[in-house]
Amino acid sequence: MGTTLNRKMAAVGLAAAMAVLPLAGCGSNDKDNGAGNASSAAPNASASASAAPSTSADASGEAAPAKLTGDFEIQYFVGGYGDKWWKKVIADFKAANPDLNVIESGGPKINEQNKPRWIGGNPPDFVYIDGAGLNDRQMVEDGQVEDLTEWFKTAKNVDGTLIKDILAQQPQQYDGKIYNIPLVLNSWGIFWDKALFKEKGWTEPTDYDSFIATADTIKAAGVTPFIHTGKYPYYIQDAFLFPAIVSANNDDYSILQDMADSKVDAFKSPAVMDGLNKIVELRDKGFIDKASIQINHTDSQMSFLQHKDAFIPNGLWLPNEMSKDIPSGFDFGFIPSVTQKAGGKVVANTSTASVAIASKAKNKEAAKAFLSFIFSEAQASQWAELSGAPSNIKGDISSSSAPNFVKDAAKFLTDPNTVVIPMITFNADVEKVMWDATDALSIGKITPDEWVKRVTDAAAKVSK
Amino acid sequence: MKTSGTAKWQRGLFIASFTIPTLAFFCVFTIYPVIKALYYSLFDWSGMSDHMDFIGLQNFKDMLHDPIVWQALGNDYFLVAGKIVGIMLLATFFAVALTRFGFRMSGFFRSIYFIPNVISVVVIGVLWNFIYNPQIGFLNAFLSLFTKEPVAITWLGFTSHTIWMLLPPSIWAGIGFYMILLIAAIQNVPDSLYEAAELEGANQWHQFCHITLPLVWEQMKVSIINIMMTTLNGSFVIVWIMTEGGPDNTTQVMGSYLYQMAFRQYHFGFGAAIGVLILVTSLITTVALQRLLHRETIEMS
Repeated sequence: MGTTLNRKMAAVGLAAAMAVLPLAGCGSNDKDNGAGNASSAAPNASASASAAPSTSADASGEAAPAKLTGDFEIQYFVGGYGDKWWKKVIADFKAANPDLNVIESGGPKINEQNKPRWIGGNPPDFVYIDGAGLNDRQMVEDGQVEDLTEWFKTAKNVDGTLIKDILAQQPQQYDGKIYNIPLVLNSWGIFWDKALFKEKGWTEPTDYDSFIATADTIKAAGVTPFIHTGKYPYYIQDAFLFPAIVSANNDDYSILQDMADSKVDAFKSPAVMDGLNKIVELRDKGFIDKASIQINHTDSQMSFLQHKDAFIPNGLWLPNEMSKDIPSGFDFGFIPSVTQKAGGKVVANTSTASVAIASKAKNKEAAKAFLSFIFSEAQASQWAELSGAPSNIKGDISSSSAPNFVKDAAKFLTDPNTVVIPMITFNADVEKVMWDATDALSIGKITPDEWVKRVTDAAAKVSK
Repeated sequence: MKTSGTAKWQRGLFIASFTIPTLAFFCVFTIYPVIKALYYSLFDWSGMSDHMDFIGLQNFKDMLHDPIVWQALGNDYFLVAGKIVGIMLLATFFAVALTRFGFRMSGFFRSIYFIPNVISVVVIGVLWNFIYNPQIGFLNAFLSLFTKEPVAITWLGFTSHTIWMLLPPSIWAGIGFYMILLIAAIQNVPDSLYEAAELEGANQWHQFCHITLPLVWEQMKVSIINIMMTTLNGSFVIVWIMTEGGPDNTTQVMGSYLYQMAFRQYHFGFGAAIGVLILVTSLITTVALQRLLHRETIEMS
């Protein structure tokens, strides 16, 4: 009986094994494909690609605005700004170029999904750099995005205007070279509730002295003046520390660009120390809500909306982000910076997302044509309309039916007396050390000197 | 002779039909990734780029000089020690209480204590974030009942040792499972032993020390080692949900630092090296604990 049972079992087992083994094989095949998907997907693409570069190389002699043909793939992340604009602009672009096969790779997870293709050297042609997993500086360092320096000098949009002339915020320069062009224009700054200030008779701040004076009054009235997002220290850095540094540097923002390039001496500048000391002043006067250190942006914003705190450093997206939780009667007041001297220029630190062309793009002609297409006034005003954020084309903000604070912001951003900081992306290592140090500074764990020491060490290590 | 040969062959086939697929899966889904991680740890690679630079053991050398790695390692072992002590004491206490003292509500309590195990760690993290919230949190509200001034402690924002605050949620989340494990073990102990001890006049404490503990030791050992391994490999989740390793890296553990380096700071090779460190420390600690906890196995017959 034992043997028959065994035999049966063996048969069953074998059958199972036969069913399973191929599956296991499949698994391993899949794995190889996963990494090599790029290469297996590549053939049909690269077949056309291998043909394309040669033609595009010839065509780049710019004989005539030749018809765009072939495949053209756009990768766009879908986040806070949604995908309405992308759908619209791609449809418009398709209509303008009927012979071009435009492929959309969009979605909230697209950066992850397309990662194997970037690694495998088969990236999409055009990329919108936004969301987790994409960092423009890193992409430049990895040589994944096309050098646009030359193109940008003379590039005209579809209306025939030079693109560089109509950008509100200029592209970041990496050792003097340009790789990506900012598409969105958003500004950091300090928010308060105008209604509350009116009711309590508090003065709205216009510079550092009035900010400190108001904060004193607010504290005396039993409200905490200032809350920030300790879990993500870039809120206080971008909206408070960086403008403070620029103001202290005689409104010269090149110091931030040097910091972004991890130049050690930039961090040792007295302007940096001045900015840090302003944080220390807020801390030592008890203006910073103690809860700040451990909370995330939602918590800090809720606290602010509930009038537990009077000021919050944030970005222009704040009212949109919290739209469901804004108490009635709440009226956002906004100023890009409070750290300038009385009578000094306001410093607007911008926040952006940019677009770039892959260095291994197969259809660079189409990608450049697409750039010219989207950096036009028509598409820019659509961006403001469909994404709810100002686009990086000058002058379209005030014309849109935007809420008050956006118009306030627009007033600041277009004012010749405002210093608008261009797009800046720090080295990720230096940035993390800076975040940790800023947090540590804000709770009195370290001194400004130690902040500088930590960050210069990190910068020195990176620029080695 | 011939028949027994066939039988042997069949037996071999039978065994092979079960082991080979398992082995194949194990190789594909365990061995291959481990080797791949070892391989990547020898490169300077951003994780996005299409080229990698071979740098030998440089990542490991850098690791030795990175104070955050040491902090993370210390935090990990702090959590291991704290969780082993906390979970084992409480789980054993509850298990004994719910089996040996046989009161009526024991089924109810068994379910209650097990509930945290059904909840995802992510939810636990969010829940405890609310408990620790300095403004609207339960803990400060509760403490404020006893003080004149409202308490405003930032439970997750101390300048150092913030890792202590992650211990209560980790212990709370772990008790139920190990309690069930020990309850099962205790229920396997024959009643006759306790009856005999009762007749001899041994009290509950003596019974626990001389009957329960030796007979469930194997399960306790498994529990301790399991707590150690899940902590070293999995403390990442609760850290990431609650603090992201902050403030100023005081709650960084190896897993969270791996994630930070590999995906936030674009040092995939260095991240892989931390992964190797986790693997090595887990292995070493397992062997060490096995040795440490070794006792004569006591058979219950």
